[in-house]
Amino acid sequence: MSGQAELDPKLFAEAPVRDPRFTVVDRWKECRLFPDGHPEKEVEFFHRQMHEELNSVENAARNLADFPEADWEIRMWIARQCSDEARHVLMFRRIFERRGGTLGQYPVMSFQYRICTKIDTLIGRLAVQNRSFEAGGIDAVKVGIDDAWRRGDTELAELYESQGADEIVHVRFANEWIRQQVAANPRNGLRMAAALTHGSRAFAQVMGEEAVQGIDYAADQSGRLEAGFDAAEVKQVYELSEARRLENLARKRPGGGS
Amino acid sequence: MGLTIREKAEYVGTFRGVRVYLMEMLARWVPTTPELEVKVLFGRHIWDLAQHADALGKRAFEIRAPLHYTLRPSEEYQRLLEEISGCQGTAERIHGFYSVILPGLEKRHGDYLAHTDSLQDEPTVRILDRIQLDDARMRRESQALLAEIPLRLADPEWPGRLAAQDSAVTQFVVPGSGVTLAREVAS
Repeated sequence: MSGQAELDPKLFAEAPVRDPRFTVVDRWKECRLFPDGHPEKEVEFFHRQMHEELNSVENAARNLADFPEADWEIRMWIARQCSDEARHVLMFRRIFERRGGTLGQYPVMSFQYRICTKIDTLIGRLAVQNRSFEAGGIDAVKVGIDDAWRRGDTELAELYESQGADEIVHVRFANEWIRQQVAANPRNGLRMAAALTHGSRAFAQVMGEEAVQGIDYAADQSGRLEAGFDAAEVKQVYELSEARRLENLARKRPGGGS
Repeated sequence: MGLTIREKAEYVGTFRGVRVYLMEMLARWVPTTPELEVKVLFGRHIWDLAQHADALGKRAFEIRAPLHYTLRPSEEYQRLLEEISGCQGTAERIHGFYSVILPGLEKRHGDYLAHTDSLQDEPTVRILDRIQLDDARMRRESQALLAEIPLRLADPEWPGRLAAQDSAVTQFVVPGSGVTLAREVAS
């Protein structure tokens, strides 16, 4: 469909099933990406975000189904995550439809599910899904909240605040559990590192340089601390994200290279 | 006559075992069911089932069984669960779970409540009462979904046959199936 090479099957599992209303694409650049100020930009984003939340429901569900021997406490958190992400699907669907969208109107991607379910350890999946993707969501949601309040969009600001609070819970339980697992057996640290390398390589295939170059915000330091990252981890990710933000801003300036 | 403490623990452990099975069944169905609305419904009910299993597991410890004591139901009931768990069609999954399994469990909870002493065993009674309320809500939500999206059963008589199979199950809990009570584990 895309005219591009297939995604590397070593990095990606089979996609979850979809009903015929949806068109699923493999890469970010195949989505309908509208420029700033375009009337459909926001609605397309809500649609894509709704589908990302659906991927998160599916990932959490697979974690329950695939690791029945995991501690009951972590399974309870994962079950809770299933419900939260399902609620997020409904939240984004509601705002998307209220603002004129129809289900299936734009292409969607299932990269989160395909990356995470290719990982064969629970610690690896939680490291990639909760500690990376969802933690990135905390950063993005903070920007969304501030922007929505500034524009007087109360409905959207409240949605993002609610979503952000839930994401912090999901990242926190994963951080706490991962820390316990690594303390109990240092090999778990290696399993996590292998999964993060896998996730990073797969993510780059899906998103390409263009998506990363579009990010113009830094990490949300207080949100990440609340989500259970330690001060050194937050400092490191903040410095990296701030450097990336400045680089991307410089690139956007006239004569800056894009 | 009421139930002995061991019998109560076996019932609670079996109710918990079934809830965990159902939680995992819905979890397997989420990525393999096409319709978004159904994935969302299952995703939300996974958490309900987990909370039920958690409450029962904690109650087990209060009646001298190990924490989160979990027992398999009888083979004939297990076969029914597995038949439904193996369904591929969305309509079959919805009818099998919400119209057959949940009403069947409601009846079994009722049997337990009829036999236990509601004063001596009040904490279990309260847990089952709450589960019954949640199950009723889950069934209502499934009915609302079926009204919203058209889903057809390949064989419209299948749920009725399955419900009859459920009613014919003579034994739900296997007496003496529990490993031991907590006191015996400790010793």
